[in-house]
Parts: sequence; structure tokens; C-alpha cells
Amino acid sequence: MLRKLRSLFRVLRSRDDFEQGMAEELRFHIDQYTADLVRSGVSPQEAARRARIEFGGLNSTQEECREARGLQLFDHLRRQLRHAGRTLGKSPRFTATALLTLAVCLGANLTIFAVVDSILLRPLPFPEPDRLVTVFNSYPKAGVHRDGSSTTNYYERRGQIPAFAELAIYNEGTALTGETGAIESVPFMRVSAEFFSTLGANLALGRSFTEAEMALPPAHVVILSDSYWRRHFNADPLVLGRQVRVAGVANTVVGVLAPDFRFLSSEARLYFPYATRLEERAPRERHNGGNAKHIIARLRPGATVAQAQDQIDAQNTALAGDDPQAKLLADAGFRSVVVPLRADHVASIRPTLLWMQAGALALLLIGALNLANLLLVRANGRIKELAVRQALGASRWHVASEVVVETTLLTLTGGLLGLATGAAGIRLLDALGAERLPLGAAITLDARLALVALSGSIILGIALALPIAWFNLSAHPAGAIQSETRGGTPGRASQGLRHGFIVAQIALALVLLTGAGLLGLSLKQAMAVSPGFRPDHVLTGQVLLPRDQYPTWTARLALNQRLLEQLSRQPGVLAVGAVNNVPLSGNNGKSAATVKGYVRPPGESLRGHYSYGVDGDYFRAMGFRLIEGRFLSGEDSQRGQRVCVVDEDFARFYWPHASALGQRLFAGAEETKDADAITVVGVVGAVKQAGLTDDAGQGAVYYPYALRTDERLFVVLRSSLPPESAATALQATVRQTGGDATLTNVRTMETRISDSLLTRRAPALLAALFSAIALLLTAIGTYGILSYAVAQRRREIGVRMALGAKPQQIRGQFLALGLRLLAAGTLLGVAGTWVLGQAMRSLLFEVPPFHAATLAATVCVVSLVSLAACLVPAHQAAGISPTVALADES
Amino acid sequence: MGKSADLLPGTLDMLILKAVSLKPLHGYGVLLRIQQISGDALEIPQGSLYPALYRLEHQELIAAEWGVSDNNRRAKYYTLTSAGRQRLQQETEGWNRLASAIALALNTTSEEV
Repeated sequence: MLRKLRSLFRVLRSRDDFEQGMAEELRFHIDQYTADLVRSGVSPQEAARRARIEFGGLNSTQEECREARGLQLFDHLRRQLRHAGRTLGKSPRFTATALLTLAVCLGANLTIFAVVDSILLRPLPFPEPDRLVTVFNSYPKAGVHRDGSSTTNYYERRGQIPAFAELAIYNEGTALTGETGAIESVPFMRVSAEFFSTLGANLALGRSFTEAEMALPPAHVVILSDSYWRRHFNADPLVLGRQVRVAGVANTVVGVLAPDFRFLSSEARLYFPYATRLEERAPRERHNGGNAKHIIARLRPGATVAQAQDQIDAQNTALAGDDPQAKLLADAGFRSVVVPLRADHVASIRPTLLWMQAGALALLLIGALNLANLLLVRANGRIKELAVRQALGASRWHVASEVVVETTLLTLTGGLLGLATGAAGIRLLDALGAERLPLGAAITLDARLALVALSGSIILGIALALPIAWFNLSAHPAGAIQSETRGGTPGRASQGLRHGFIVAQIALALVLLTGAGLLGLSLKQAMAVSPGFRPDHVLTGQVLLPRDQYPTWTARLALNQRLLEQLSRQPGVLAVGAVNNVPLSGNNGKSAATVKGYVRPPGESLRGHYSYGVDGDYFRAMGFRLIEGRFLSGEDSQRGQRVCVVDEDFARFYWPHASALGQRLFAGAEETKDADAITVVGVVGAVKQAGLTDDAGQGAVYYPYALRTDERLFVVLRSSLPPESAATALQATVRQTGGDATLTNVRTMETRISDSLLTRRAPALLAALFSAIALLLTAIGTYGILSYAVAQRRREIGVRMALGAKPQQIRGQFLALGLRLLAAGTLLGVAGTWVLGQAMRSLLFEVPPFHAATLAATVCVVSLVSLAACLVPAHQAAGISPTVALADES
Repeated sequence: MGKSADLLPGTLDMLILKAVSLKPLHGYGVLLRIQQISGDALEIPQGSLYPALYRLEHQELIAAEWGVSDNNRRAKYYTLTSAGRQRLQQETEGWNRLASAIALALNTTSEEV
């Protein structure tokens, strides 16, 4: 086989040489034979004649020789390609329509598939990524579904769970690096010693962290990402032992990661050891995850997630034995969940992406149906030519292969154009924010995808050829020649097929449009949700503090005070405050609060509440609603008053029949001594904490900043000027007041809200785009089929008009045909939308899956577009003049 | 032309390989050589010689190279490749086995049954 391919390849490479050589070789033979005959006494003319006769047909010999070298298939293909190219070139309008349709439909699919591929399909860049899992604590009955893991969990589990080969813990943050004047904020990760080996990632230089480096005092060592190494150390191979200044402290470089290292969506460029005090590993810290620390593990070869889950469950049960909080935890439904790492990371957008791909495929199907119809119409127009050729001996195989070659040439060209469209589409997705999706930064159009796209085009070409080939072969040649020349009515079967395609197209367009409508409506509903505060004119930014300059909590609070005072003096500033986490930041953890005197009914769990530390005039700056009492002030924070503000959900839950004011509570899961109690001084409106569409009503507690030990700091500023213009002032104030403190993540509250809707907005926009294209395709399809029907029946119409039929009757007849198709398509489509609505329920927000108004609107739009597409051909039909139509021989 | 036998199907390839194994030959030479070594007993239809040559070249049992003929014309010369030599040996053995078996069968007399 290989030999033959090699030989074939040699010949194909120099085809002309082959032909020339063959001719020369055969001529040489005949000449030699002639000469021999002459030598044996035959006259030259007679010799030449006999030589040629005895040799036999030169042409057939040559053909057999080509066949012997396996060339005939290629010759055949080449001829058919040339023929297909010529016929396509002869009908530029058809070809352009077809190519445009293909470019758009295939491009749309390629774009979405690129996203699906990079987020859902491509394996994580680690060896045997299927063995990687993550473990998180869940307290569902307390309203806390996901709380990460604790340091205690890590120390209790490593080496103790037989199903895990290795287990590691990490958390993330932002560090300030460099010297005063050139401070840069760099995302970092703190990782335990076996983090990289758990992933199976090798370091390009140096080593991973050691067990000793996970103890305090800090070892001040750092591992660099490849990009940090290149940018800051100019890819110095002798970087080990050099220093990186982080928060004013020198850290020694002990390793550099490989260039392709990428952990999920993390942008970390520096890695520090996960160093903790012994107290942080104690059993009483077991449930202090706070959704900030995360455990990953690698399953032992052959071990399953279910086994790991069983072992973790067994360990949790054993540990609960001597846990004083065991009852509390059981009430909260505590469980540690083991899930595959990648699936867990992308779980939130998986359904959306799959629906987007389904939408793109529906669009492709509409486009393909359109093309099939246009091709059928063309085939009908060429049936006479084909019949003649078949009568002259073209084989059925030849007829079928010709169709396949033509449609495949078309779809393959369309596929190439689709690659270009797809590349543009990916850029569009980037503009819509696709790189902010989990694993979204890896979305690229690579050779693998291009190959998939081109293979898809070829398959599409073959699929499109099937109905055409069937039509060509089922037509009776003799009948075809007759019926077409006499201009009778077209074949029933092919007409049925065309009309069926139109019906399917209308139905699909309807379903697609309804889907887009439901998504759009959900987006509109989500955007209409009040966040609970007034997001206009609010600018927010995160302040990072270098630990060396602000080593104590007092120093930090002093800075807060200076910063807020400076900011409040800026022009246009109405109110300014600080908080450790803004709403909708995407990482809002919950923690427990215990209300004094509240007795939980049996079976009710302790509840997790959103907890915040606020300073300055935070509530006024953010635009909270005051329901009762007063807001917290900067003074509460500075004086460390034991007061707090709760939101209405919290107040309603604990004191449904009494005022919350003056009530007392404890931060944490248990009631402690009276001196620790915190008094409620105000009740504010509930705020959407985790997302606009989050309706949990979990309750929130706002403590003075000084009472909390969360180190994060956001400043919130309400300005009478456009908030963007306040950004420069904010930046400058932080720089003047804060030493090396650095401002990052500066965004208006409105931007934060709109960003939080990314996974609703982009799909709704894409679905709208897809439906617009689908409508256009359906209009083209309907128009094409009806005007073809008119053209085909010219003679019939002519005869009927000559016999007295009125133009209105003719017009009515074609409109009726259009309406029949539309009605059938609509019926089918409405059934489809019902199924669709049920299936995509999880993507909808406050929109019923079967939304009558949306459906009615879509039916109207589809009907209008289809009818408009019918009107023109129907009008043309009515305008046919009998004399012209009857005289016309075509 | 005396008494010439028609070729059994499948034997042309074997004869070509044999002819070429003795000395590199051009197509016409192959024809003459087969006639010569078969004592003019085998008649090769000239038209079917070339497809057979091309097929053997396609299978890389023979290799072709352009050279100069006795009368100073460009001609394509065929030589046996090592794969071709192997094939020739196999075919020869097969043929001999078949021929002796058939000869044995045809020479059987009634006493031997």
C-alpha cells in the first residue's frame, strides 16, 4: 500500500513528464517494430500499418497504463472539479449567496466551538488531568453552599485519604512588589509544598517549596512564573538566589515555572509557600474556610471520585466524634464534596455554552436547508442537460460523484471563508468579555480547530449532495426531457422535498428567535433588578497595603482615616467610605453570627450571613436605604465601638415581631461573654451581594471596620461629577497619602453590575445575532422557492390566464402556497419552542419557559418576514403575460 | 509464426519479471526477449504489455530509467528490484509446483489408480 502511494505521489508530482514519457515509450515501440518488419522485407508503408494494427488502440493502451498507475481517479476528480468550478462560476448570484451563507453559518459555529473547545473540551495542561479533583466544604442548610477548605482540613487530610496520591492547598491574593516609586501590584498564589507535584507540573528551574518553608517565621522564598521571570529578570538562567522585593521585604527566588504552566484561570505570577501558624491548623479552625482557601488533589491511579468521597465522608464522621460543634454542623448539613477539578471550574457556564453551540448548529441547519433548496432548484433547471448526458452514457456513479464534487467544492470554499469569519467572531467574543470566563483566556483559533472546521465543511458538502444526487438519479431521463420541454408541472417528489425544507427552516427560525427572545427577556429582567443601593455616580477601587509600612491594625485604621479625609475634600465628592468587600465582587464569603437570646427551633441550622467591615460614610457613599436607627460612621470604626448594622433580611429572620434596634449579637458560631456582644444600631435595605439574580435573602451584618480582621480594603466614593473623572483624583490621593499603598481594580459600581451580567448579556446578544441571520436566511429561502415555483409554472399560468384566470387568482394561489408553508412551519416551530423553553429553564430568570408574549411576537416577526418574501414572487406571477409565457420555449 | 500458445492469465507478469531479471530491457526488448526465451512459443499481445509494465512499476517490482537504445534513441529501461526478485522466485516456485502436480496428474495411468 505504502509503495503504491509513493509511486502515485511521484507520478502526480510530475504529471506532464509522465504523459510525455508514456507517449515517447509507445512511439519507440512502434518505431522499433516497424524497423524490424522493414528489415525482414516488408515495405515501409505496409510495415507501419501492420505495426500499428498489431499494437492495438493507442488511446486505450494509454488509458490502461494510467489506470495501472492509479491515476484515473485523480484525472476524474480533476475533470469534475474543473467542471464544478465552471458551473459555479456561471451562476455567480447563486454561488455568492451560497458562499455567504456558508461563511456566516460555519463561522458562527467555529466561533462558538472555539469557546466550547477551550473551556469544556481541551484537557487541562497537566499530565492525566482527569485524576485532578477539588474538595470543598458545604453547609447547605446554613445557606452556605461552598466555603472552600480550611488549613486544618489540609493538615488532617494529606496522607490520610488512600484514594489521593497527593493533596495540596492554595489561596490567592495580590502583592505589592518593587521599590518605592516603582510599586507594582502582582497577583500571587500561596501554595503548599506539594502543589506543583499534585498537578504534575515540572519547574523549569529550581525547586518547589519544602515542608520547612510552610512553617513560620516566613522563609521569604518565591517561585516565579515564566512571564514574571522574562519580564523582570530578562529570562536570566542564573536567577535562582536573586531577590524579589514584596511589600518591602526581599524574597529569594528558588524556582521558575515552565512557560506553559497555567492553573485554571489564575493569573498569578508569583508563588509563595503556604505558611501558617500551628494554631491555624488546630481542630477548632476546621470550619474556617471562608471560601478563600482551596484544596486540590490527585487521585491515585485506578481510584475514583466516589471512593475519595467515601473516604472523606468517613474521615469527617470520625472527626465529628470529638467536635463540640458536631450537632451544629449536622444541622447545617455539613459535607465535604469531592468533584473533578475542571468540571467544577467551568460548571457555571457549561449549560450556557452548550446552548450557544446548539443555537449555532440550528443556524447552520437553517443555512444548510437553504442551500439544499437552492441546489435542488438548480438541479431541476439542469435536469434536461443531465438527461441528455445520461442518455449518452454517463453512468449513475458519474452523475452522483459529480454532485458530491460540486457541493463539496462549494462547502469547502465556504469553510475557508468560515475560518476568516470565525477568527473575526472570536475577536468579537473577546470584545464581549469572553476572556473573563473561566478558562476563557485560552480561547484561540488553532490548526486543530481549523482542521475540525474543514472536515465539517466536507461532511456538510457530502450531506448536501445526498438529496441532489437522489433527485438527479430518480428522475427518469426520457420523462425529464419531455416534461421540461413541454413546460408541464414539476415532479411531485422534489417539490415535496423543497417545501418540507422550507417548513423546517421556518420552524427552526421560530425556535431560534424564541430562544433569543427568552434570553433577552431574562437579561432585561436581571438588569431591572434593583441592587438595593444606588449604583450611579459611585466609583470603587481596591487599596493594597504593603505589610512593612502598615504592620499593625492600628496603622491600617489610621491610614483609612487619613485617606477618607483627603478624599472627602476632593471636588464633587458627596460621600466616601471604606469596606473590606464591595457587593457583586464575585467572592463574597459568608460567616456565622449568633444572636443573643435566639433559640434555634430543633432541626434549624445556624445560618451563614454576608459579613462586612465598613469605615467612613460607606452607606451614604454606596446609597443604601436606611430603614431604622442610624448608619455606622467613621467614628464607630475609629473608636472600635461594639455596634453593628444589619440588613432587613437579617432583622426579619431573627426579630420578625420586634425592632432590631438595641438587640445584641456575637460574631461567630457561639454565644460568648457579654463584653463581646455587639449592639444593633441600625437596619438597612437588603442588597444583592453575590449577583443580581441571586435571590437567597441570606442576611448581612455590617461591623465597624476596626472589629473585623479581614485585610482587604475597598474605597467607595460618591461624586456629583461623572465617577470616571473622579478616578484620577482617587489615584492621586492614594499615592500621596498611602506611601507605597497601591490602588487597583478601579471600576464604577455600574460597571461592576454590568460585568456581573456577562454570562447573561453575551449569550443574549449572540442569540439575537443568530436569529437575525436565521430570519434573513429564511426570507432568502422562502423567496427563492416561491419565485422558482412561479418561474417553473410560467407556461401553466400563461395558459390559465389565456383561458380567463384573473391576476388576483394567480397571486392568491401563490400567496396561499406561501401561507400553507408558513402555517405548517409555525405549528412545528411552536411545538419546538415549548420543548426548548422547558429544556433551557436553568438559563432563564423570571421568565416562564413558555412565554406567550415572546412567542406571539416571534410568530409575528417570522410571519411578516416570510410573507414579505412571498409577496414579490406572487406579484410577479400575477404579472405574467399569457402571450409572452406561451411563446417562450424555455 | 509456427504454433504459438495463448498466455495463461496471470503469467505475463511472471514472464516480464523473468525477462527483466536477465538484463535491463526496454519495453520492446521485453517483448522480444520473452519470445526468444520461450522459443517463440508464446505470443504476447503487444497492447497489453505496457499496462503490465506500468502495473509492475507501480508495485515497485521493477524500476524504470531512461537510457539510450542500440540505435541511439532515448528509451525507457526496466530493471528488477529486490522486491521483484523475491516475487519472481516465489512465482517460479509456485509455478513449478503447480506444473509438476499437473504433469503428475496427467501422466497417471489406469494401473496406478
